[in-house]
This record gives sequence, C-alpha cells and structure tokens, in this order.
Amino acid sequence: MTAMHETRKSTGVAVPPPHMHAPVEAGTELEEKVSVRHVDFFYGDNRALKDISVPLYARMVTAFIGPSGCGKSTLLRTLNRIYDLYPNQRAEGEVLLDGKNILSPKQDLNLLRARIGMVFQKPTPFPMSIYENIAFGVRLYERLGKSDLDLRVEQGLRRAALWDEVKDQLSANGLSLSGGQQQRLCIARTVAVKPEVILLDEPCSALDPISTAKIEELIDELKDDYTIAIVTHNMQQAARVSDFTAFMYLGELAEFGTTSKMFTAPSDRRTQDYITGRFG
Amino acid sequence: MMEHTMKAFDADLQDLGRMVAEMGGLAEQQISDAIDALDRRDSMIAQQVITGDARIDTLQREIEEKVILTIARRQPMAVDLREIVGALRISNDIERIGDLAKNIAKRVLVLDSEFRSQKVMRGVEHMAELVLAQIKDVLDAYARRDVQKALAVWRSDEGIDAVNNSLFRELLTYMMEDPRNIGICIHLLFCAKNIERMGDHATNIAETVYYMVEGQTVMEERPKGDKTSMTMVPFDA
Repeated sequence: MTAMHETRKSTGVAVPPPHMHAPVEAGTELEEKVSVRHVDFFYGDNRALKDISVPLYARMVTAFIGPSGCGKSTLLRTLNRIYDLYPNQRAEGEVLLDGKNILSPKQDLNLLRARIGMVFQKPTPFPMSIYENIAFGVRLYERLGKSDLDLRVEQGLRRAALWDEVKDQLSANGLSLSGGQQQRLCIARTVAVKPEVILLDEPCSALDPISTAKIEELIDELKDDYTIAIVTHNMQQAARVSDFTAFMYLGELAEFGTTSKMFTAPSDRRTQDYITGRFG
Repeated sequence: MMEHTMKAFDADLQDLGRMVAEMGGLAEQQISDAIDALDRRDSMIAQQVITGDARIDTLQREIEEKVILTIARRQPMAVDLREIVGALRISNDIERIGDLAKNIAKRVLVLDSEFRSQKVMRGVEHMAELVLAQIKDVLDAYARRDVQKALAVWRSDEGIDAVNNSLFRELLTYMMEDPRNIGICIHLLFCAKNIERMGDHATNIAETVYYMVEGQTVMEERPKGDKTSMTMVPFDA
C-alpha cells in the first residue's frame, strides 16, 4: 500500500496563478519578464486575439500550442511588434517588458527588436556569408573592433551549436547550409545581438529529428540566460522543452499552467481534447 | 468521451481495458476457487488454482507489452497517458492478487492435520467474501471510470481488517491450547494474511482509478484497521 498522500510536495512558487498546481521546481522564484495584459489584435476588422493575458517568466520557456489559426503566431508577432510593418494590423492592450508597455507609440522599435529576438518557421538566412549573417545584426546595435566582432560571431555560432560545423567555411554563403544548419544560423544571429527575450515560431517544423534535438538542446541551454517563448505544433516538443504551456483556441487563451500539469492533467476540456488528438 | 482522430488509438485503449477486465475476472475466479479448495481440503481444485495462475501472469505480460508499444507509438498525453499508466498499475495489482490466491492453494496441498474449526473457516470465508466484493466493486469502478465507487472501496477496507484481527486472536488461542495445532494454524494465519493483502491491492486499484479520472492522487488519509502487528494473547494456561 503506497502512501499516496505523502508523495505531494509543498509548492514553492512565488505568486502562483490559481490554476497552477505543480511548481516548476520547488523554491523557484518566478519573475515576470513579459506581461501580456488584455491584448486584442486585429487584422483589419478581423479580431484575431481576444483579451489575452499571459506572463512570460524570466529564464523559463513558455510554449504556445493550439490548432492552426488560433492566434499563437499572432501573439508572438505582437511581442516584438513585427506586425507594425504591415498596414491594417493593430494591437490593443498592454505588453509590458520589464514593466514598460512596448505597445506604446513612443517605443523605439529597433531597440525593442534588439531586446526581443525572433526566429521564424522557415530559416531566413541573409544571402551573404555565414560570418556576415551574424555580424550584420551586431553592427546595427554596437560598434565593435574586428577582433571583438570575430569573437561575437564565434560565440553566437557556438551557442547555436553550429561553430564546429562551419568554423572552416565562415565565408561560405549562408544559403549553402542545410535546413537544420540554416535554422541554427538564424538562432546564432538572434543570440549574437544579446537579446533578453527570444521568440521561436515553430523553429523545428522543417527539420529532421537530429536537427530538432540539437535545437531543443540549445533551447535548454539558452534558457539559463534568456526568456523564451516557443510556438509549436508538436505536442511532444512542447512537453519536452517548456516549463509553462499556454493553450490557445479561436483567439482566446483557453488554459495556461505548468507544462507538467498541462500534459498530464489539464483542467480545460478543450486542452485535453487537443493534446490527446481528439479534435474533429 | 470524444473519439481520437486516429481511430486505432481508441482501439488500443479499448484493448487494454478489455485485457485488464479479463485479468480481473480470472483473479476473482482464482480467489473463490482457492477458498473453496481450502474449505473442502480439495487438492484437485488447489492444483487447478496453482496452474491457473499462469494465465493471469501471461495477461499481465501482454498488457505490459501493449502499454510499452502504445506509449512508443502514440506518445499519449493527459487522460490517455493516465489511462495507459493506470492499466499497467492495475494489471500489476491483479497479478499480485493472483499470486496470493495461488499461495493459499499451495497451502491446501500440505494441510494434513485433522484440526477443524468451523469458527475459523467461517471467518476465512467471510474475509474472502468481503475481499471478493471489494475486488468486484473496484473492477466495476475501473470499467465505468466511477470515482465515487472507487473511493467507497478505498474507504471500506476496514471490515476486512476487523475480521483478520479476530481470526488472528482466535488462531493464537488454538495454538496455545495444543501445540499440535500450530502447523495448521500458521498456515491458516498466512491464508488470512493473503486475503487481507488482496484487500490492500483492491485499495491500490481504487487509488489508480481515482488518479486516472481526476488526474491527481487521493489526498485524504485512508482508514487503516490491521492491528495484528500489535496484538498479543496472554498465555494463562
């Protein structure tokens, strides 16, 4: 007879939302790096996000899951205001980065995108050398000498677990790399400008399992220093890499909680049906 | 519950549930046969119980293999994951229940004493009836995913413990009266203990059913009534 009631440990999470049942790790202090507060998003008249409120905790990985068209990518695009590049797209509400509202018109967008980096579903290397792919972004924000810049490029490539594969061909075109390498190059490029938050929009959807594993390993390493949000269609990937999971449905946040809870005993019926493959 | 988009996954889960139910049915039969053999000192029936345990063991291995394969192929999540882990745990408990029935049957084979006590045998039978009812109820709770019924089983293990306690005292007394009774009384004591252990497995299954449905473990303290480890009968002959 096992003493089931003894297996529960007391939760040590600071300020746990009421629906959170298990701590990420007992004693972990959670610090809200990004706070999404009552955000609505419109593509013209189409309301794609409906009153979304969700935190991104510092040095944690938050996964966004949900069926296609539920607003995951839209939310991610809101977080670094990429949508600003397109007419007729607007966000309402507040997104606080360290307490400051980045949706404010006064926000410097270049600075914002240096602090919040983004990696897209399809690898998007610039049509230039591997070295320049990384140096280009760094030069936009910092004036570095040749040796410092070399060092920064190397660090970026090392962090993205790409250095050993490309160190002898830094002048080769970034587009000559394989899909998995291109994606890691994009991550290296993002990391090299030393952002605080990294947004990953389905970073592994075009990659083979080995490249996927390398990127997941990378995410695990990066979260020591960065706050990470990842959109993924792969349930197992969300379960593997994230600390918190947000399930979105039809533009709403259906459920948010620790990943361990969300994938073993979600409280919302829609989450359950989605992650167990019961959606029609 | 809504069906999976992948129909084959539903079939996998249904198969697992069916196999667990089959195992449970076999175990119930093994228990009543073992008690029957004990009551009548019938070594034929006892032998059948001993060989019959292999079928339960085989089913348990089949469930284990199916569970591993299903996890590998489907990467189950949430309620599915709990169902699959539940089937694995319950099959382990039923397998142990089967072993305990077999152990009772083995003891029947060596009982050669003339010692007969109606009172003791009625006690053993009564315990077995209680345990069988518990096992039937908990398997029913499993089949219907009925949390209330599972909790009822979980809470009502005390009756079995009470009978076990009184049997324990009774048998101690017989042993003190006549040392020639010691051999058989020890065997009967183990039979009672085996039945009491079956009840514990039934409560384990009840906890698993609760976890499968609710996604969390039973939090309250379970009433415990086994006092045999603290019982002594004074020798006043």
